[in-house]
Amino acid sequence: MNKSLVNGQQSIVRGAASLLIVFSILTSACTKKENPLPIFGEREVEGTDTVYHTIGEFKFVDQDSAAVTNDTFKDKIYVADFFFTSCRTICPIMKTQMLRVYDSIQNEPDVLLLSHSIDPEYDTVGLLHDYAERLGVKSDKWHFVTGSKEDIYKIAQTSYFATAMEDKSEPDGFIHSGAFLLIDKDRRIRGKYDGTKEEDVNRLLADIQRLKKEYVKEN
Amino acid sequence: MKNHKPKAIYRVTSAVKLFALGLLLFALSLQGCREKKTDSNISSSSSIKQQQYYVQGEQLYIKHCSNCHQKNGTGLGLLYPPLAKSDFVDQNFEAVVCLMRHGIDGELIVNGKSFNKSMPGIPSLTDLEIAEITTYLYNTWDHKRDSIELQEITNILNRCVDESNPNRSSTAK
Repeated sequence: MNKSLVNGQQSIVRGAASLLIVFSILTSACTKKENPLPIFGEREVEGTDTVYHTIGEFKFVDQDSAAVTNDTFKDKIYVADFFFTSCRTICPIMKTQMLRVYDSIQNEPDVLLLSHSIDPEYDTVGLLHDYAERLGVKSDKWHFVTGSKEDIYKIAQTSYFATAMEDKSEPDGFIHSGAFLLIDKDRRIRGKYDGTKEEDVNRLLADIQRLKKEYVKEN
Repeated sequence: MKNHKPKAIYRVTSAVKLFALGLLLFALSLQGCREKKTDSNISSSSSIKQQQYYVQGEQLYIKHCSNCHQKNGTGLGLLYPPLAKSDFVDQNFEAVVCLMRHGIDGELIVNGKSFNKSMPGIPSLTDLEIAEITTYLYNTWDHKRDSIELQEITNILNRCVDESNPNRSSTAK
């Protein structure tokens, strides 16, 4: 009898131990090891080097009439998206979420934001200036750009893999994705997020920090 | 070694108990994350009809209004005015009812701040739907107006049609 009690206690201990193991597995799933972020797009191997897809050359004008080019983002991590000021569908949600990103990078000099208007004929510099001001954001951190429609649609499709096109049958006249793209200091896409979903943007905020760490290690 | 069988049973039951305990802990931890907060100010004594208006109104608000004015009614910067804490909403009941259908243009001063972006109306909203949204809007966040009758909303809507200019430009861009 005594022995069975001891055995019983042992089984409880064993049970508790296995419960602990299961629990620790569950919690470890939440704090998984940090791997480098993926690199999006096609890649080619040239000799011993791998050449990755990068964002092409661009030249746009921002809300302060300043030229914005690849050089603006030299040695910077940035988040890009596509929107237009008169959009009432997903853009306001995207801007609410991008504002969270903006607030979180206030003290990060090497992280910037870039919003392209896909209705550049309507969204003039003046309109973008007013929009940014009403959103309460500063141009040195968050560039709202306009330019030639062809250039913007082309860079959206070929560089950022984001959908942006005119479609008169849509309620606002355009089809566009609500994606936020995370671009590293080497012009490579390192993350794609749904800018209308809070959880996805939480992931973006964490990934910005992960990406920053990659560059700390390399230096 | 003869009481081998009862031991096995004991072991099984203790394992089941532990499993149940684990499950309970898990359920409790989930519960903690899902603390539901309701903003409804509609009193439990209001009629079932009012409560139905409120529930429908919330769905319509999320569908038609929350993109810009946000789910929590805070608006967005100086682009989209707040509805939650808003002297304009408090003081302009009829205008608010009208603008749901007809939209509004020009400068609006809300809580002392200037907003100036045209809001398109939604002409397809029925009187009932507007009554539902109004019930939701005026009984959530800081507002507590309680009973809103369909007839009252219909009367207001008829008046604002009268006031509105026949060649009112719908600047839906």
